[in-house]
Amino acid sequence: MAGTLIGPGLSIDGEVRSEDEVVVQGTVRGTLTSRDAISVAAGGVVEADIEAAALSVAGSVTGNVTANERVDIQAGGRLIGDVKASRLTIADGASFKGNVDMEV
Amino acid sequence: MAEGSVIGQGTVVRGNVRGEGSLEIYGRVDGDVEVTGDVTLGDQASVRGDVTGARITIAGTVVGELRGSEAVILERSAQVTGDITAPRVGVEEGARARGALRTEEPASQSTGRGEQRRAAPRPLEMPRRVAEPPVSARAAEAPAPRPAAAAPPPVSQKRPPPAPVVPAFRGLQARKKKVRGR
Repeated sequence: MAGTLIGPGLSIDGEVRSEDEVVVQGTVRGTLTSRDAISVAAGGVVEADIEAAALSVAGSVTGNVTANERVDIQAGGRLIGDVKASRLTIADGASFKGNVDMEV
Repeated sequence: MAEGSVIGQGTVVRGNVRGEGSLEIYGRVDGDVEVTGDVTLGDQASVRGDVTGARITIAGTVVGELRGSEAVILERSAQVTGDITAPRVGVEEGARARGALRTEEPASQSTGRGEQRRAAPRPLEMPRRVAEPPVSARAAEAPAPRPAAAAPPPVSQKRPPPAPVVPAFRGLQARKKKVRGR
């Protein structure tokens, strides 16, 4: 597996930068950047600004998000922060607080 | 619950990584790593910081201390600069290491670790005993650097005479000296 998996129980304080996919089931505080997709799984906690090609949130994210492609907030997911992305979906049952910039 | 974590090859972490479960590192970590499970460091991976875990297997580069509550294993591609503490330590041929080695339980992970570490300055006890030949043997081997018959015993000299030893042995001595000076 080429990607990065931050498992439940693991927490990173600082900066995470990746060329590959990142899956967060644990905790990341600081900044989180990937050229590929980032997904915050249910139970995952990110208190960081996020930059990624795509972001999927089923856990909890506090921070501003910039995605080149898309942001999906899934049912049960929670996002507090501003979102800059050309596509955004918010599933029924997701919570979101922040501004949206879809570059229109 | 304690599932494993992976820091992939294309990933760089600046900061500390802590938690439960095992951790495989194929990328780079600039910061301390402390997990309750095993730590595996791939041959392209590097850590600048202390690594604490149960069984620590290193194939990459570490600049920092290694503390394994079960074991520390250095594979042939490993390169470690820093002290190693674990009840069991394995070093494969080809691995490079520089630092003190203690085959003992690392001091308790959370409290007062620093003080306990400083209170036990016993670097390289075993290698010292094994590597050093009896003084008399070394004196006999030495090519008598001075014509004086009653040359001072080599022990009191600042450095031992350039005995015609096997290069490997000499390297060992040199390394030992550096370590002792730390």
